[in-house]
Parts: sequence; structure tokens; C-alpha cells
Amino acid sequence: MTLRIPCPTCGERPHTEFTFGGEARPAVAEDTEADFARVFLPDNHPGSARERWFHALGCRTWFELTRDATTNRIG
Amino acid sequence: MTQGSLRFEGREVPIHDGDTVASALFRTGVRTFSRSLKSHRRRGLYCGTGECPNCTVTVDGVPGVRSCVTPAGGGMRVERGRGWPSAEHDLLHVTDLMHPLMPVGFYMKTFVRPRFAWPVAERVIRRHTGSGPLPRRREPARTTSRHLHVDTIVIGAGTSGLSAALETVRAGERVLLCDAFGVGSQVPRPRRDAIGALEAEARKEPGIEILEGYAALGVYEGPTVALASQDELVQVHPSRIVVATGAAETHEAFPGNDLPGVWLGRAASRMASAHGVPPGSRVVFVASTGEGLEHLLALVAAGTNVTAAVVPSAFVDRVPPAVEAIADGELVSAHGRGRVRSVVVRERGLERRLRCDALVLSTGLSPRDELARMAPDEPVEVVGDAAGDGDTPRVTGGHLCLCEDVTVHDAEQAWAEGFRSAEILKRYTTATMGPCRGAMCGRALTAFAAARSDEGDRAAVARTTARPPVRPATLETLAASVHEMIEKRTSLHETHLAAGAALGWSGGWKRPFSYGDAAEEYAAVRERAGLMDVGTLAKILIAGRDASALVDQVFPGRVADLPAGRTRYVLALDEAGYVADDGVLCAFEDGSYLLTSTSGGAERMDARLREWRHRLGLHVHLLDRTSELGAILVAGPRARDVLEPLSDDPIDAAALSHATHADVTVAGVPCTAIRTGFVGELGFELHHPRSRGPELWSALQSAGEAFAIRPFGLDALEILRLEKGHLYVGQDTLPDDTPAKLGLDRLVDMGKEWFVGKAALERLAAMPLGRRLTPLTFAGGPPDTDGLRGMPVMAGGDVVGRVTSAATSPALGRAIGLAWIRTHGGELPTDLRVGEATATIAETPFYDPDGERLHG
Repeated sequence: MTLRIPCPTCGERPHTEFTFGGEARPAVAEDTEADFARVFLPDNHPGSARERWFHALGCRTWFELTRDATTNRIG
Repeated sequence: MTQGSLRFEGREVPIHDGDTVASALFRTGVRTFSRSLKSHRRRGLYCGTGECPNCTVTVDGVPGVRSCVTPAGGGMRVERGRGWPSAEHDLLHVTDLMHPLMPVGFYMKTFVRPRFAWPVAERVIRRHTGSGPLPRRREPARTTSRHLHVDTIVIGAGTSGLSAALETVRAGERVLLCDAFGVGSQVPRPRRDAIGALEAEARKEPGIEILEGYAALGVYEGPTVALASQDELVQVHPSRIVVATGAAETHEAFPGNDLPGVWLGRAASRMASAHGVPPGSRVVFVASTGEGLEHLLALVAAGTNVTAAVVPSAFVDRVPPAVEAIADGELVSAHGRGRVRSVVVRERGLERRLRCDALVLSTGLSPRDELARMAPDEPVEVVGDAAGDGDTPRVTGGHLCLCEDVTVHDAEQAWAEGFRSAEILKRYTTATMGPCRGAMCGRALTAFAAARSDEGDRAAVARTTARPPVRPATLETLAASVHEMIEKRTSLHETHLAAGAALGWSGGWKRPFSYGDAAEEYAAVRERAGLMDVGTLAKILIAGRDASALVDQVFPGRVADLPAGRTRYVLALDEAGYVADDGVLCAFEDGSYLLTSTSGGAERMDARLREWRHRLGLHVHLLDRTSELGAILVAGPRARDVLEPLSDDPIDAAALSHATHADVTVAGVPCTAIRTGFVGELGFELHHPRSRGPELWSALQSAGEAFAIRPFGLDALEILRLEKGHLYVGQDTLPDDTPAKLGLDRLVDMGKEWFVGKAALERLAAMPLGRRLTPLTFAGGPPDTDGLRGMPVMAGGDVVGRVTSAATSPALGRAIGLAWIRTHGGELPTDLRVGEATATIAETPFYDPDGERLHG
């Protein structure tokens, strides 16, 4: 599947311009156990998930999107 | 008419108009073009379209060149790669008799025991297989790489490729049309007439860019198509891909099918019609398609003596009268030693032997659809012959795969061992993995599996996976982009060169390592004054309503209380509590901050700040000023004396003390002067507009003459900072170093409500440290301390750590360094050795422990 990432400022651009920022997770966890899970135990869910992306070779904006990891479908 | 000559294994070979290397050699009587990969069997011209490996020769020192699609050039040096003593008289042909020793998967079966045998056998096998020796001492090639953005790429400039390109450009799109060889060059001769008009039209269209000699290697996600020529790698980023790569002729597997003298129709008819050389003096032709019949007629028209033609009964009427037509006959086998002497044909149940010296087969098409098959999810359209279903080859014996020397017998053996689908047969026998990438043998392999598998076993007969590269490319071309490193330079680059600096790579920048005498540079900084270009530092402006909240939460130390005009050394942690970078934060009156951090890390630091701005929802403006600001460090006991005459602004100890900063004008250049102490002396970092760098540098040098000021480079800096025990994040740290492991706990304020990595540090506080970055002094080692870096630290025969930095300290008169050392129960081991030297755990700073020299 063609992976073109919709950047909120630049529109749809080839994925080679972006850096993957991992699964979208809260910045702050409830306790240290939850924090450990937050940092080290990604869901790796084979399906749709919220992700963070960074338009490194573009406008340098961070944003979130929903991508299906098995089909690469976004949205 | 001859066009000069090429040199072939010591003799001159004349070149005629339009000759390929193969046709020139064939005309002078060369019949064996190469020796096969493993068994050193003779191989002659076969496909004639650049697919099969048979015609590969070494041209001007480059092995593996397909002579059938390489135009002959005057002065070329051509030789055959494999074979000892020569390809013509190759004694290694005995390996063919030893075929049982090298069955499929032989590297798992033979030469395995005794164990010492394999290294020996491997050396012999390596030397005598492959495509011929690589050229030694060849000049490095200047290959280039570029990116192209188009609407549509059309791969293959044959009839359907040209038509698709014209149709697309007329719809208003920009089109890139590429072909591994030339426009129309691979169109079979009978269809040649139509192509001229199409080509002329396409060449007139400004919206079509044509790349000839560019082979598409693969389709990747994006989509991206990689194209390779002799000296260029092109990455094309289209919205749509049209695959018009045509088809090869069917490769039939029958006994004797790899003998020189067995030709495919296109090769034979081109040799006779275009180059005027008949493929043989007595030719037997097997044609079962319309195209095959055309080739037969072309051969006869060119005057070739075709003695018999095996054709379907429907074609019998069209076979020229001079040729015996064998209706609905079946080819059984080809015979001969070293070349075809006869073939056996079955006619109405009876076998007949026909004497001949060439056998031409044109029995169908094998679409070259690998590019489409490797990218099922990309917007790929297949047109022309490549989109066809193809014909199923007969597989009765002989060589299944020419490239990898896999016989039908080998495949049968693999089948018997349980490798029962085309895909795993491929992986086990390596059939289809050779230079033709399955163009010849892919369908034969599938047909082989289909004939043996249970009916309905679709997995067994599925086509094998297509993977890039689908055409051969040199490693030189594939590596093209590695030459194109972006070289970052400061505005003082020319100044350093003029001063005789030795420049080297450091974090993506070209920086001076020394100006000739690092020891003297060191002495200047410690005793008088030194000057260093630190314009490479990352310099990021952090401003806006929430600037203070952002720095407070991104950096683990206390920074919210940093008053305007002060600076503070900060660490940056990741969410796991590991040290990712460090830097110096300067606070300004207007509530903004300037962060200077590790050279080469500007993009990462900027990304980090932007990430947390986003995740914490803060209102902050971030501006990476790294390339816009230059910076010069003036350091040494006389640094202030150098600056004083150049500035009207107060820079005395009261106005600009240690760990403060101020905006001052130096030699007419507006600067932010930051009092830093990385080298352990009185130091001023002058951040200035990049364009003013050279004039500021030269003013400082003039003013410093009275104190014998010296520019110093990274070599001197390494000693200066090590004497202070300062670490480089990245060089002295490991990816999972916490502040505690580095002895930098003082830079973390666990009393803060929250910062990036705090929860992780709380969790880790309950666990043993495991290792610590430890200052060491060395005694009894070699005088050259460069060798110490990277050495293991030993304690009683065990490796307990590794030296991350080392230098000989002039101030201490001994070698010093930093090393990470494993702890046990919180204790560091004793009696440490590093190579020949004994190492003693020390305290940092090694030099000026009370920091007296920093203040002042």
C-alpha cells in the first residue's frame, strides 16, 4: 500500500519525509508501573492504532494519525 | 563495413555496423561465450535479449557484462570470465562430472564433515565459481544518485510502453519513460516497423522524459521505483506505475537444452537478419507461435539453411518449401559434445534424429511481470506482453535454471527430499535466484511443481516471490548515494584552510582537528589564550508564553528559577530516563531561552522540543538558529584581556561572571557572549551572525597577538575537556545511561513535580546501578594513549568495563580517561588493568578541581 502521510500543514506527502514517533500514548502515567508499560510495552496491535508522526523533512510538525498497521490505511 | 575492432583474448575482432559484442564475436567463430556457474559447462548465445546469463563476458575489466545487448566499441578489451586455463579449454569442466558432490543444498550436505574440510572446500569453490574475478585496483567510480518526481513512470519503451506514455502525456500528465536498453531496442524484429512512428512521436513530446540504459530494479513502498544505469542510481517517485517490460521467450527444459547452438527465436533471427550471420549451417527450428513462424521466415529470408521446422499443423502451409515441415512434432532432446550436433524429434510416435549445428526454439512467451508482482498494493498497471498469461514450458530434463546450474534432476531430488512447492524449491535449489531473476526459469520451475503436485494444491504451483533487483546492477551504482554526504561548514571554513588546519568529519560538520601542533594549542589555552570555532553547536531559541514551562518539563534539572542573564548546564532525558543529550540553557529578560547543545544534534534536539511542545500542549515558539548563528570560543587566562580592547560593553568579572551571558558588541559585531567552562579556563562563547564570523575571528586574532593567542582544534579540546572530566554524550555514554550511571545526579531535581523521564528514574532508583562512568588514571601503559580508547577494562581476568575516552594530560603528566565499569553491590572493582597499563579510579575534575580558573 502506498504510504503517503497526511501532514496537517503540508497535506499528503511521501512517508520518506516523516519520522515515526511510535504509538500515541499519554505523556504522563498514573504510577511507575503504568509508566513502565507506557514506555516499554507498546501494544503492537495488528490493526488500527493512533500513532505520532513528525514531518522531519518538511514543516517539522508533530501530529497524530490513525493507521492500520496491517494494511497501512490511514484514517 | 567494419567500424574498427575490439580485442578479444589477444586477437583483434572486427566490428561491423550495428554490432553487439556478441555478434562481433560470433561472426569470428566464437561459440563458447561463458562457462556455467558451478559445473563449468559450455554456454553459447541463447536468448539474445539480455535475460539469460550465457553471453556474459568481461569487458574492460568489468565482469558479468551481457554481450548480446552491449554495443561493440572500438578498442574494447573483451575476455571470458570463468574457466581455467581458459573458457575455451576449461579443465574445471571436470566439476560437471563431480556434480553428485555438489547437489542442491550441497553446502549443508557435502564438505560438512570433517569440519576442517569446509574452509578448504569453500576457498576452492569460491575461486572457481562466480562470474569471474573482480577487477583489482580499479579507480573508484563516480556514480551519482538523484530523485525524480513525475506523475507516471512507464517502465519499458517497447510498443506498449511507448503507446502508454503517449496516452498518459496526452491526458496532461508528466511521464518518465525508461528502458533498460534503448527505445524499441528489444521489440522482436517482425514488429519493428510499427515502432519508428511511435518513437518519433514520443521524442517530440516535451511532457515525456526518456531515460535509455536505465533498468528498473524494483518497486518499493511510496511508491518508489529504483532505476540503475552504468553510473547513476535514480529514485523515481511517481503517482502511478505502468509496467511495460514485455516478455522473454519461453525457456524449455529438455535434455541438452543448455548446449551451445541452442537458440531462442529472437536471438537467432536477429543474428541472421540484423548482423548477417546465420546461427548455424544446418538449423532445426521449433516454432509453435505466430512470432516463432515470423522468426523462421526471417531466418530463411536472410539465407540461413533451415533443414527442418517442427510446427503445429496449422502453420505447415506457411513453412517455406526448402524447409522440411514436421507437423505437430515434439522435440525430445539435443545432443552433442560441447555443442549441438543433432536433435531428436518425435513425429507421430516415432523418434527421428536430425543432424544439425543449431536448434532454434520459439515456443511462446514468459511475461516479465516481476515488477508488478512485487508490489501488489502499489498503483501499478501492467500493459502489453508483460500483462499476458504466458505459455507453460515443457519440463522433461536438462537445465531448469541456467544461471544457477540447476538441472531438472536436481529439482527432482529436492522434491523427493520434501521441498514440494515452487517457492521452497526456489529457496532450496536457488533456481530463479541468478542474474536472470527468473525471467527464463521462473515458469519452468512452476511448471515442474505443477506436474508433480496434487491437483488443486494452489500453494505448490503459485509463482515464486518477485524481489528486487529484477535486473543486474553493480554495487557501485547501488552505493551511489553514499558519496553524497552533505558537508556542513561554518563561515570560518576558508579561514581554517588558510591557517593550515587539518579538517575532519565530526557530527556531519567539517571541523579543524588541529592546526599542526595540538600540544602547543593546548598550552595556549591553559597558559595564554586560545580561539576555537564552535559554530557547529546546536543553537535553538525557545520563546513564547509557555517557554519556561517547556524547559522546566523537558530538562530534569531546576531551570524554572533560572534568572535572566544566567546560564545552566542541562541534561535531556528520554522517557526511559536515559541521557539523550546535554546542553547549556541561557535565560533572557523577555522570558525566552537560547539552548546550545551537542554539535550535530540540532535536528534531534529541535525534534525533541517540538515533540514535547506538542504532547504537553504548550504555547511555545521554537527556532533552530544553528546555521544562522556562528560561535567563537575565546578561552584561557588572558581571554578577557583579548576581548577588552575590542568592546565598549562591560565584560569585567562583575558584569560577565562565570555561568552568565550578556549581549555585547565585539569588534563591531553584535554578539551574545556566554561564559562557559568546557575547557576549564576563563571562556567566552561569542554567538554572532554567521556572516560576520570571519571579521570577528580576525579581529580576535589581531587583539590576541600580544598574548600569542592560538586557534585550537578538536584534538586539543579532547585533552582540555577530559582534564575537567566533562563527557561527550554519545562518545562517553551508552544508550541506556541514566544520570546516576554518569555521576550526574546533581543535574536532576527529583523534587520537581514532573519532567520527561522522572517516573522512569523513580523506578530505576530502586534497582542497582549496574555500571558507572568512572574517571581513571593510567600508569605503565604505552605512551600513545589513542590506543586506550575502546579497550576493555580488566579486573582479575574478567572484563569489567570499557574505556570511552583517553588522553595524556600535560597538566597531570600522565594518561587519564573515562571508562564505564560494572559495579557489584554498588562497589567498583579494584586492581584494574587496561592492556599493559594499570588503571586507578580517580576523582574529576582531574584539573583545577575547585574550578578557580573558571571564575575570574
